[in-house]
Amino acid sequence: MISREVCQRVLHKAISTGADYAEIFAENTTNHAISMIASKVDSIRDTVIAGAAIRVYKGMRSVMASTVDTSEEGLLKCAESAAEALGQGTAAMDIVLKERLFGDIHPVKIAPTSCSNKEKVEVLKAGYFAAKDYDESVVQVSGNLLDVDHNILIANTEGTYAQDRQIRTRIAISAVADKGTGTQTGFFGPGRRMGMEMFDIIDPKNVGVVAAKQAVTMAGAGYCPAGVMPVAIESGFGGVIFHEACGHGLEASSVAYGQSVFAGKLGQKIANEKVTAIDDGTIPNAWGSINIDDEGTPAQRNVLIENGILKSYMIDKFNGRRMGMASTGNSRRQSYRYTPTSRMTNTYIAPGTDKNEDIISSIEYGLYAASMGGGSVNPVTGEFNFSVNEGYMIRDGKICEPVRGAALVGKGSEVIQNIDMVGTDLDMGQGMCGSSSGSVPTNVGQPLIRVSTITVGGR
Amino acid sequence: MTFNEFKELVIAECAAQGITEYELYYQAGASTSVDTFQHSINEFTSSYSGGLCFRAIVGGKMGYASTEDLSPEQAKALVAKAVDSASVLEAEEQVFLGEGGQEYEPLEDRSYPLPTTEELIAKVLDTTEKIYAADPAVIDGCQTQGIIETSEVAIYNSKGLDLHHSSNAAGLIVVGVVTNGQEMSNDYQIKLGKLDEIDVDKLVAKAVNGAKEKLGGDVAPTGQYPVVFSPEAMCSLLQVYSSIFNSESAQKGLSKLAGQEGQVIAAPCVTLVDDPFHKDNPEPINFDGEGSPTHKKNVIENGVLNTLLYNLKTAAVAGKKTTGNASKGGYDSPVGIRPFTMYLENGTMTEEELLAKAGNGVLINDLNGLHAGADAVSGDFSLQSAGYMIENGKKTTYVKSFTVAGNFYDLLKNIVALANNCELPMAMGMTTFGSPSVLVDGLSVAGK
Repeated sequence: MISREVCQRVLHKAISTGADYAEIFAENTTNHAISMIASKVDSIRDTVIAGAAIRVYKGMRSVMASTVDTSEEGLLKCAESAAEALGQGTAAMDIVLKERLFGDIHPVKIAPTSCSNKEKVEVLKAGYFAAKDYDESVVQVSGNLLDVDHNILIANTEGTYAQDRQIRTRIAISAVADKGTGTQTGFFGPGRRMGMEMFDIIDPKNVGVVAAKQAVTMAGAGYCPAGVMPVAIESGFGGVIFHEACGHGLEASSVAYGQSVFAGKLGQKIANEKVTAIDDGTIPNAWGSINIDDEGTPAQRNVLIENGILKSYMIDKFNGRRMGMASTGNSRRQSYRYTPTSRMTNTYIAPGTDKNEDIISSIEYGLYAASMGGGSVNPVTGEFNFSVNEGYMIRDGKICEPVRGAALVGKGSEVIQNIDMVGTDLDMGQGMCGSSSGSVPTNVGQPLIRVSTITVGGR
Repeated sequence: MTFNEFKELVIAECAAQGITEYELYYQAGASTSVDTFQHSINEFTSSYSGGLCFRAIVGGKMGYASTEDLSPEQAKALVAKAVDSASVLEAEEQVFLGEGGQEYEPLEDRSYPLPTTEELIAKVLDTTEKIYAADPAVIDGCQTQGIIETSEVAIYNSKGLDLHHSSNAAGLIVVGVVTNGQEMSNDYQIKLGKLDEIDVDKLVAKAVNGAKEKLGGDVAPTGQYPVVFSPEAMCSLLQVYSSIFNSESAQKGLSKLAGQEGQVIAAPCVTLVDDPFHKDNPEPINFDGEGSPTHKKNVIENGVLNTLLYNLKTAAVAGKKTTGNASKGGYDSPVGIRPFTMYLENGTMTEEELLAKAGNGVLINDLNGLHAGADAVSGDFSLQSAGYMIENGKKTTYVKSFTVAGNFYDLLKNIVALANNCELPMAMGMTTFGSPSVLVDGLSVAGK
C-alpha cells in the first residue's frame, strides 16, 4: 500500500515536534453485503473504505489525525497536523523500518471479492428459503450475506512495518413467526475469518432452520415470569454474559482510567474458582481472530482469569503506558477513522468438569437460556443487562415450556462469583462489539454454565 | 480529487455505458475532538472523511456502489459495480430518483462561528476543573470531551436534482465519576451549541449529581406498577420504536401499524410530531435523502395514526405522496426512512402533578440495553432500569438493577397523562427524539 521509504519520511514529520512515538495506520477495505427480504434480493451494498491515520504520543498525551488522501503529500500534511497539535518541541530519533512478516494463521481459500454476486445470492437463498419454508407460521424472513476484505498497514517509530489482510464472511438470517399471539423473531448469524469456503463447514440451510425454529418456538411461548432465580446459560453465544459482565471491565480503556470495578485487582480472586476465562486472538479462522492487532502487535492468547484469580487485562500500547504494562495484542479499531483502543478478540469461559445433565438437574426452579441476544454494560458500576432470545423454564431439574421476553440484569462483579457450575463442551458465537473505537468482530464463548442466582426480568 | 471533479468522471462513464438514470450522493465531514484525564489533555483527534454513493436504475432495478477513494479507476468501477448489482436484484417495487426543480422551505440560519482548537482546549480544561471542584465525591475517571464538527451533503442526479447542505456544530460531553468509598458510579451529559453560551456549571452539576444519585440505592420490588418515564427514558423508547412508523417496515410486515392509518393507536392525550425544523434540533435540513422537500407533520394526532413516514418508493406502493422522510444511514446505505425530530407533544400537568397522579409506582429515568431488550417487531421490551419509587405521589427511594417489561403498542394506548416538560435530551446528529415525562398504567417490574 505505502512504501517503507514513504512511511519513514511521514514518521519523521510526525515526530518533528517532540513526539516519543509515532504510527501510521492505512487501510483499503471492501465491504460487501447482499440483503434479502420478502423472498427477493432487495439490495446490494459495496463500499470501498480507504484512508490513513497518524498517531503520535508524547508521554501520556496522544494525538490522532486521519485523512482520505494517502498520497505522500496527503500523509505528510496529516503528519504535520498531528505534530502541530502535539505542541512545540524537537525530536531526534532514528527511524529504521524493518518489514515484519507474520505467518498467516488464518489462511483463506476463496477470497469473497473474487466471487460473483450470483454465486453469493445462491448461498443466501439456500439459507433464506430454509427459514421461509420451515413452518407456515413464519411470516417474514430477512437475510444478509456479508463479506469484508480488510487490508491494513502499520508502520511505527519502533521499527514495525507490517501488513495484514483480514477476510471475513458472515451469513445472518432473521425469521419472524406469528401464531396469533404476537410476533417473535429468531436469529442466527454465524461468521468466520474465512472466505466463501466457510460454507463448506457452515450449511446455510441450517442457519435458516435454526433462526426459524427459534422464532416458531417462541411464537408459541408465554411470557417469562419475573424474579430472582438460578439460570443455566447454553454454550456458544451464551458467552455474551462474560463479555458484558466482565470482559469490558478488563479492557485497558476502562482500567487505565480507574473506570472499572476490576482496576487494581490483579492477583486477587474476582470470580468463582470454577471460572477460567481467556481472550485468544490466535484461534485459526475464528470470527474475532487477527494475525496482528491494529498497532502491529502479534495476536496473543491471554488468560484473563484462572480459577477465579485475575491474571491479566486486555491492553493496547497507549493505555499500557498509563498502566506501565505491555500491549497484549488487543488494540483494535473499526477503521482508520477511529482511535484504536483495547478490545476483545475471541473471549470465552474455558471448559470445566460439570456434566450438562447435572447442571440442568441441579435446578429446582429456574430458567434455561438456550439462546442469548445482545446486551450492554457500564464498566464503572459493572451493571449489565442482556436479553434471552430463546428461554425455557426449568422445574424439578427438567427443561419445560418455552418462555419469551426474558432479560437478565445484575452486577458483573457479583455474577462472576455466582457462576458455580461450568460444563465441558466449549462453543463460540459471533457478534459485532460496539465501543469507542467502533464496531469490531468478536467471538464470545463458553460451555453450558449455571449462575446460582440472578434477576430475571419478565412479566 | 474533489467531489465535483469526480462527479464529471462518473457522468462521462455513465454516458459511455449508456446509463441515463443515476444519482451521486456525497457526504463528508471533519471533526476535531479533545478529551481529558485527570487535569490534562489525554487525547486529541482530528479526522476528515468523505464518501460517495453512486446509484443507477438499470432494467428497472436500483444498483448501488460506494467509495471513499475518489480516483479515476473508482469512477469506472462504481458504475460497473452498480450495473452488476442491479442485474441480480429481484425486488419488484418501482424505484425512483428525485425530480429537480422542487420548492424547498427556506432554512433559518442557525450557524455560529466554531471555536479554534486553542479555545476548545481551554474550555475542556476549564470544564474538567469545574467537575473536580463540584463535589468531594468526585474521583479520577471524570472526563470532558470537546468536539467541533463540520459536515456536508450533496445530491446530484440525472433528473436535474443538484442540492447541497452543510452544517457545523460544537459541543461538550461531560462525564462525572463519583464514589462513596464502597462503590463507584458515573453519569454523562452532552450539550451542543456555541461554546461560550453553554452553561457549563449546569452541565457539570447535572453530570455529578446524576452520578451521585446512582450510589447506593435499593432494588425495586417485583410487581405491576404505574410507571412514569422521564424525558430521557421515554426518548430511549421512542428511538427504538420509531421504526414502527416506517412505512417500509409496515409494508414488509415488520410493523403492526400496517393498514392502521386513520385508526386509534394511542391514548387520546398522545400527539407525536416529526419536525425537520424543530428549534432545538442542531441540524435542521430542508431536503431528505432523495432530495424531496421536508416538512413538519403529526404522525399521531390525539391518539389517531395520521400518517406513517414515507419515501418515494414506499409512497408509490401505498398510492400516497412521500412525507420527505427518505434517509441514508450512512453515505453507502440504500435509501431508507427515518424521522428528523420526533417528539411527543407536551401535556398540561407539571412533573409534580404527574407523580401525584401516579400515586404509588416507579419513576424510571434510565433505560439500558435497548438494542437487545426491545424488539421493534413484536413491540415487546424487557429493559434494565433505574429510577425512584413513587410513594403517595412523591419520589422517594432510589432504585436500580431491575427491569421494566411491557409492549410498546400497548404502552401507547395506556398512556394516562404527559407532563409539560418536553426536552430533547440528546440532541445530536440528524435524528433527534424528544418527550416530556409520561405516565403509563400497569407495567411489570422485576427486581427483588
